Amino acid sequence: MKIKKRWDVFFIVNGKRRSLTIEPHWTLLEVLRDHLGLTGAKKGCDRAECGSCTVLLEREPVYACQVLAVQARGQRITTIEGLERNGKLHPIQQSFVDHDGVQCGFCTPGFIMTANAFLERTRRPSPDQVKQALSGNICRCSAYAKIIESVLAASRRGKRTRA
Amino acid sequence: MHPFRYAEPQSVAEACRFLKRQGPSALPIAGGTDLLNEIKEGIAKPEFILNLKRLPSLAQLREKDGALRIGAMVSLSQLAGYPILRRNFPILSEALSTLATPQIRAVGTVAGNLCQRPRCFYYRHPLLLCAKKGGRTCFALDGVNRYHAILQNEPCPMVHPSDLAPVLIALDAQVVLAGAKDKRLLPLEEFFLLPTQDITRETVLTPGEILIEVQVPKPKAGTRGTYLKFRERGTGDFAVVSAACSGRVLRGTVVEMRLVLGGVAPIPFRARKAEEMLLGQKPRKDLLAEAAQAVLSEATPLPGNRYKIRAAQTLMVRAMQAVLK
Amino acid sequence: MVGKSLTRLGAAEKVTGRLQYTGDLKLPGMLHGKILRSPHPHARIVSIDTSAAEAMPGVVAVITPKDIPPNRRLQSDLAVLDWTVRFVGDEVAAVAAVREDIAEAALERIRVEYEILPALFDPLEAMKPDAFPIHPGGNLAGKPIVLERGSVEAGFAQSQHIFEGTYTTQVHCAAGMEPRAALARWEGDSLTIWKSSRGVHMVDRPALAQGLGIPAEQVRVICPAMGGGFGSKDETRMGTLCALLARKCGKPVRLEYTREEEFIAGRSRHPSITHLKVGISRSGEITAIHARTIMSKGAYMSSGNAVIRRCGQGSLYLYRTPNAKYEGTLVYTNLPVAGSYRALGAPQGQFALEVHMDKIAEALSLDPLEFRRRHHVQPEGQPGERQTPPGELVSDQPVEGGIPFSSNRLSECLRLGAKAIGWQRRWHSPNSSPGHQKRGLGMAMGLYRGGLAHKAGAEVEVHPDGSVEIRVGTIDVGEGAFTTLLQIGAEALGIEPSRVSILGGDTATTPEAPVTSGSSTTFSMGTAVKEAATTLREKILDRVCAHMGTSRESVSWNKGAIQITRPTKKKVSWKEAVALLSPEERRVRVEIRPGSTEFVINSFAAHFAEVEVDTETGKVTVVKYVAAHDSGRIVNPVAAQNQVEGGVIQMLGFALTEELLTDLKTGVTLNGNFLEHKVPVIVDLPPLKTIFVNAPDPAGPFGAKALGEPPSIPVAPAISNAIYNAIGIRFQDLPITPDKILDKLRLQERD
Repeated sequence: MKIKKRWDVFFIVNGKRRSLTIEPHWTLLEVLRDHLGLTGAKKGCDRAECGSCTVLLEREPVYACQVLAVQARGQRITTIEGLERNGKLHPIQQSFVDHDGVQCGFCTPGFIMTANAFLERTRRPSPDQVKQALSGNICRCSAYAKIIESVLAASRRGKRTRA
Repeated sequence: MHPFRYAEPQSVAEACRFLKRQGPSALPIAGGTDLLNEIKEGIAKPEFILNLKRLPSLAQLREKDGALRIGAMVSLSQLAGYPILRRNFPILSEALSTLATPQIRAVGTVAGNLCQRPRCFYYRHPLLLCAKKGGRTCFALDGVNRYHAILQNEPCPMVHPSDLAPVLIALDAQVVLAGAKDKRLLPLEEFFLLPTQDITRETVLTPGEILIEVQVPKPKAGTRGTYLKFRERGTGDFAVVSAACSGRVLRGTVVEMRLVLGGVAPIPFRARKAEEMLLGQKPRKDLLAEAAQAVLSEATPLPGNRYKIRAAQTLMVRAMQAVLK
Repeated sequence: MVGKSLTRLGAAEKVTGRLQYTGDLKLPGMLHGKILRSPHPHARIVSIDTSAAEAMPGVVAVITPKDIPPNRRLQSDLAVLDWTVRFVGDEVAAVAAVREDIAEAALERIRVEYEILPALFDPLEAMKPDAFPIHPGGNLAGKPIVLERGSVEAGFAQSQHIFEGTYTTQVHCAAGMEPRAALARWEGDSLTIWKSSRGVHMVDRPALAQGLGIPAEQVRVICPAMGGGFGSKDETRMGTLCALLARKCGKPVRLEYTREEEFIAGRSRHPSITHLKVGISRSGEITAIHARTIMSKGAYMSSGNAVIRRCGQGSLYLYRTPNAKYEGTLVYTNLPVAGSYRALGAPQGQFALEVHMDKIAEALSLDPLEFRRRHHVQPEGQPGERQTPPGELVSDQPVEGGIPFSSNRLSECLRLGAKAIGWQRRWHSPNSSPGHQKRGLGMAMGLYRGGLAHKAGAEVEVHPDGSVEIRVGTIDVGEGAFTTLLQIGAEALGIEPSRVSILGGDTATTPEAPVTSGSSTTFSMGTAVKEAATTLREKILDRVCAHMGTSRESVSWNKGAIQITRPTKKKVSWKEAVALLSPEERRVRVEIRPGSTEFVINSFAAHFAEVEVDTETGKVTVVKYVAAHDSGRIVNPVAAQNQVEGGVIQMLGFALTEELLTDLKTGVTLNGNFLEHKVPVIVDLPPLKTIFVNAPDPAGPFGAKALGEPPSIPVAPAISNAIYNAIGIRFQDLPITPDKILDKLRLQERD
């Protein structure tokens, strides 16, 4: 069993293989923000309480602030930066723009990533299902009504929403 | 976060040997949703972190003769999505849907949920050395104790935060603990320790021992169950009070019942008095209320949490009503 | 453009994660800062030894009170770093290191010897004459204010009934999702600082200059984006420490608060104790309202003066009465600093007032809605004589009577809101629904200043390509202020908003502007933008007339172009018209003192809530909520609705679940996190209806008045009144949590 202070690892981030040397106590969020230059996931609490840092690990939404990066080595990670295709907003992103599911915007990437994983699994969700799915994300501007509207509208677009 | 060294053992035995050798300087990690908080707050300062999540033997989830075997590293969302769960163990489904948030369920594990540390905000505060952390005082007993225990609350009024534990005890689950040399099997109910037994830890796990599996027997035909959780917000909150009930009624008479409370005591609290009062009886409404009262007659509420008696009474009655109809 | 739901500016940057907040910014060679905080609620620092921290590899600089010249203060009671610490979490020292975790580890190696001083957490104890002084002048923070119209003594003498009551509110945190951050860079003696801010010009720049001992001209403040502020990001101590670290290191330093720091070292809503006394005459008129409020300030003043004043506005002005008096006292305590937070003291004061008035209505056997219909202040304002000299601007939080409102549609709010919730049909006598799930209806009104700032400046420039840039010194704190200002500018110019852009939040490129506070942006900044844009438009028209040899009567705007009818019919495009201006003419800068010499400008609201109370668990569920608002003409309906909904939900937390808890033995904050300071989550969202009267205000830009803060005011009293209606128990202390409900139900049953 190797017991190491530094680990050479790679992740598949937004479809690209990224290799780097990390220390075991770095969280996935620190690696994304400080070492891979991906600041879309925000550090809102660093305690797995607010959801601003939500990214997809494989296809599950996780709090990047509370995942040890080394534990996630070799896995596929999708961040908000990985949603656009050819400079075009992802349907969920477009829906948040169209339905004003945004105020200050700090929580927005997290909400969109959570919604993304959810809509991938649930084709025509009820408002209540949307609420449950997004219940791990906090918006202090409390744009909740418009966020639900945005997600429901995105689901009605009926397109594949996979990241 | 406080730095540490990290390793990935190849087997349970290797993990146990290492943990035993290193003593408290090494800690196992699963999903990390609780442990990383403790490290960030400086409450835990491990020198070594051992990742159990990559051990395939602990990731199995299977059914054997109707009984469920849940590997310690099975994630909560994986368990919630297990096909037969809703049909055969609906009470477990209910508990999982109220537990934490989708993001935590995605990485949090069954073992992690059972082994999580208390949420008492005095215990969690880096500036306060409470009795549980080796200090001399319990700050909660005469501090803000709205969320603390009403039963068995001396010398430490922490409450056990797990949603799964009351449910699994109501289902008569057993846990498999592995040490460096051998394994032992014991009822989950006996897995938890009261502060009077050892104030610094919450489980019977000895150094070098890890929880590797939870076994849930198949409920007898006709068994019903429910999990009720009272919390202040819609999600994210730990239970203020919760009640898990599993039972069976045959020809109008209660032939089997297990009732377990969360949020009221330092361990998942088995309401044995109520169970005894109901067995062999017809579940009349007044009897349910009496049974719940009998359980709570032992309560020793703190200045800030008398309300929990009424909340627990309500949840017990409602849970029994739902199960014993 | 005004009245249309233009897509929020910057929405695409937000949904893609491209928008960079302060904590996302990086500069070459940048170091990371961390602050050492006091573990004691009150202590004198005897000595500080930083040698072990400084010796750590990666640590670049440590600053302590030793580095601060004496009397280097940010406010009269707040030193940059002090030898006395006054709450658990007070700033003691700061470290800069090459990595954040190294800076954090270095904090543990700073040895501080403290001499413990007596600590006070209860304002009533702290204000006693013999209490241990937290500041040299004693524990009264500032001079208590006394505001009176008429004579309450005379009013009570005329009354037949007198109603008294005491109301309390808790410490409540704004908890914007972005923990505050700063990034400082020096070039010689000049500082550029990026930071979370709500006033780059009038808050941060002067305070930083003062704290650093340099002229304001050498400070450039930029707020790149705000991840929610709600008023609370108006402190400059962290920015100053960041700048000091950067100066000592000779390198840029970024300092980010943790979530816990945001809770304890940010700024929270002042907890309050309000005593109300109201007199009612034989004929049922309100003869006098007397309110006295004591607020716990925490350790430092911050914006306490504005908060304590704003707290009295409801008692002085919401109900028609010739006699009203408000006394407000701020008291220092050894607790985290309270400061600005959405509507300042108004939610506290109007919670007390609106629950009290509900009680009076019941005592007079009147439906609460009817009582309010009879007694709320009308468009003609309060009785009495105007005190403000003629020709002078009228305060938007006046005490005197005799001045009408520019507009007051409170009766419309009441009518529309009552209809939407079905008040006539559904309101019943208290505690009259059967079973343990009891429903009840409640309501409350609110009024707030309409958005006057002391000063507002804006610049509008049209470029040769026809594009227009509006420059304002304010900040979009996340609510959408820039979107509405852009709409106002486009409307005044008569062009498509797609041609217009807006720039703000940078002292170097924008004109001086007030803080984004007091809901003043739409009204005050909107007026400035409108004036600048209108001036520019007039200039263009003049130029076109001169060029075409025609008079103003013969030109008109037609879809962003200029239509000329004489001498020949011709259309001049916007771009052609703009080309006629000289470079100097293309830019218009205005500075105004917004307001009215004739009218009080206020915004109004009436909220209605239906709740269900589970009497066996104490759980309150909001079943339906209606918020009716008079904010004049609504500039952007969708954004406005979003803001009202957000305000209501945020304050449902204030009403029901949120409280920053302190241990009264140690002074330690127990729940500085999102798990236990229980802000509402998405599943807590009730069915919510927003109604705008949408009637133009004659004084506001295109008829608009303030909107940002008013939604936060009537929520808690509406909920408390609805709970009373459901179970027949009054809750006069916030938040109304299940433990309080069950405890009171137990007492109710025992009696």
